[in-house]
Amino acid sequence: MINQSLSMPDTPTSNTSPNGYRLVSIGQHAQILIEKEAIVRNTWLLLVLFFASIITLGSGTMAISPKEVVDVLLGQGDTMNQFVVKDLRLPRLLAAIYTGAAFSLAGCLMQTMARNRLATPGIIGIDNAAMAFAVSSIVGMSVSLAPSFMALAGAATATALAFGLAGGSGTRGYRFIVAGIGIGAIAGAVTQLLLSQVSIDVANSAYPWTVGSLSARDPFMVNTLSIGIAICVIGCLLFSRQFALLPFSDQVITGLGANIKHIRILALILCITLTGLAVAVAGPVGLVALVGPEIARVLSRYRGIPLISSALTGALVMMLSDLFGRTVLSPIELPVGIVTAVIGGPYLIWILVRRSSRSSL
Amino acid sequence: MQSWFLKSPAQRPLFAVLVSALFVLALCCLLSLLFGAGGLTPQASLQTLFGNGSPDDEFTVFHLRSTRTLIGLFVGLTLGIAGALMQAVARNPLAEPGLLGVSAGSSFAVAMALVMGASTATLTVGIAQLGALIGCICVLGAARMQGQHNDPIRLVLAGAALSSLLLAMTSLILLFDQRAADEIRFWVTGSVAGRDTHTLMSVLPSMLVAAACVLYTAKPLASLALGERVAIGLGHKPRRIRGIIIIAVALLVGGATAIAGPVAFIGLVVPFAARALVGPDIRRTLWLCLPLGPIIVISADIISRLVAQPTEMPLGVLTAIVGAPVLLLIVRSRRLPTL
Repeated sequence: MINQSLSMPDTPTSNTSPNGYRLVSIGQHAQILIEKEAIVRNTWLLLVLFFASIITLGSGTMAISPKEVVDVLLGQGDTMNQFVVKDLRLPRLLAAIYTGAAFSLAGCLMQTMARNRLATPGIIGIDNAAMAFAVSSIVGMSVSLAPSFMALAGAATATALAFGLAGGSGTRGYRFIVAGIGIGAIAGAVTQLLLSQVSIDVANSAYPWTVGSLSARDPFMVNTLSIGIAICVIGCLLFSRQFALLPFSDQVITGLGANIKHIRILALILCITLTGLAVAVAGPVGLVALVGPEIARVLSRYRGIPLISSALTGALVMMLSDLFGRTVLSPIELPVGIVTAVIGGPYLIWILVRRSSRSSL
Repeated sequence: MQSWFLKSPAQRPLFAVLVSALFVLALCCLLSLLFGAGGLTPQASLQTLFGNGSPDDEFTVFHLRSTRTLIGLFVGLTLGIAGALMQAVARNPLAEPGLLGVSAGSSFAVAMALVMGASTATLTVGIAQLGALIGCICVLGAARMQGQHNDPIRLVLAGAALSSLLLAMTSLILLFDQRAADEIRFWVTGSVAGRDTHTLMSVLPSMLVAAACVLYTAKPLASLALGERVAIGLGHKPRRIRGIIIIAVALLVGGATAIAGPVAFIGLVVPFAARALVGPDIRRTLWLCLPLGPIIVISADIISRLVAQPTEMPLGVLTAIVGAPVLLLIVRSRRLPTL
């Protein structure tokens, strides 16, 4: 305790931080409570992510050794390798990392908010609505840049609609979830309708949007997504103490002096921004939002809400899924959405059939 | 004389409500024969019905529209009953074959069959029913295992998760087969148009089996609504009843899906309406579901023909647009009722 206050002499409240945590003050009012264990965990995850990225950058139709990849990243190496790594693989890798992180973070937030592991944005229909909008732009306008923006608009519209119809987040956000499922069903039906009305060529060009894919993504959207993620991660850090209240019952939260409505709305806004941006880049790859937080939860031994770890594990899952889809049937490329479905499927079934009713978050 | 309608739903005489519902159904069928997307006016269709129309008109009315009406009748009947049964078994007003992934299971099985070389025209009903059975067992099994009868939302979430999984699997299969993808995209919207009575005949035997199941289990189901222990005390075997009902639901939904493709939300709306009319007793609601299902499907079909003239809007899209608000209504109305 004494060491701590010595190491941070400018933080007068540091002696009130609970065991195993560190309180970091920014300015006068903003304080972030950081779990010491989480720092270690996230550093490890970052390291793993880094090494996995180097391997991913090196593998593909043209294999490049990890050493050469590092050389290229440091600005050396021959032009061929430079082109393959920097121009072809790096954008895709970044897209995978960003979308994975965004989906997973959004999933973790929503799961915590609804106190249910199944309540991820994809399952409650936000992905579906984004997909319907994107498909409609392809079927109707066939403008190359439009689908991403339409997807974003779709996610926002669906959420606003669900929120409006549910009349606020309701107890535990349940009404919101059911409204979302309903809207998702409508959006799914509309997508099928659109796909059935056009020629098979147009339907095929809309196909990546219906399953989720990372090939040839719009670089502008990827950049926007990276900024969005940065903002949302900072938001999560700033409000981590408020979000930590979410698993408790409504009475307890109110009793602890927090405004439950504000917390929920804030969490929802973060969720939607992340999901909308991620869908705009990669299409509906919703199952990452299910798997990423779960891995993070196991790594953190079910302590607290592992928001940052979820983002990292989500990125890892997405990246490895894309690598798998790219390499396993080499000339054919499996869309990443299908790979995550195949990986996430068994896990989903396990959640559904597992016996215990207590540990359902 | 008219005062029966003012009574509380559970006290209304079933017979009177049923007769009026049948009357509405007959009216719907007539309208379905009269209105359509083609150039045939309602007056001309009426004339054709009385026997003095051109051969073309006769073909339209007696072949195209009557087949369509018949199939709408069948689909409404099966999905309405299946919805009522499912809600009774899950004791959950939100249980619906479409929402819980039973239809998605059927779609998956059909996609599988298509890839293996079948064609939507000659599709065997058994495959769709098998898929429905698997979906049904998965989702209800999951709900039972977690012991969460009392939480309607969890079941719906589990169903949504299962459907999304099955849909992903379906697109995985279709990725490898262009022909099947082309064929299935018309089928998955759910429609009663352009199907023939031949498939209807092939479904009929399994429907008789399902009807027998329902007749056998109607009474035990009513006692099950009072709770597991009461049902056991009355000498019923809950496990066996549930098993039989699940099979009946799978037969019904599989049959309807094989004919019309996945049509969502009928199983939600019909029992909801029936409960509002005659109260929560399953023995009464089941009877009323018989005419109500076809009424809703046929009127939705008529609307789907009229809103987007000269083309048509698929029935599945329309029912989703109509059904989702009902879903919200159920959730919003009050504290979620547990059946």
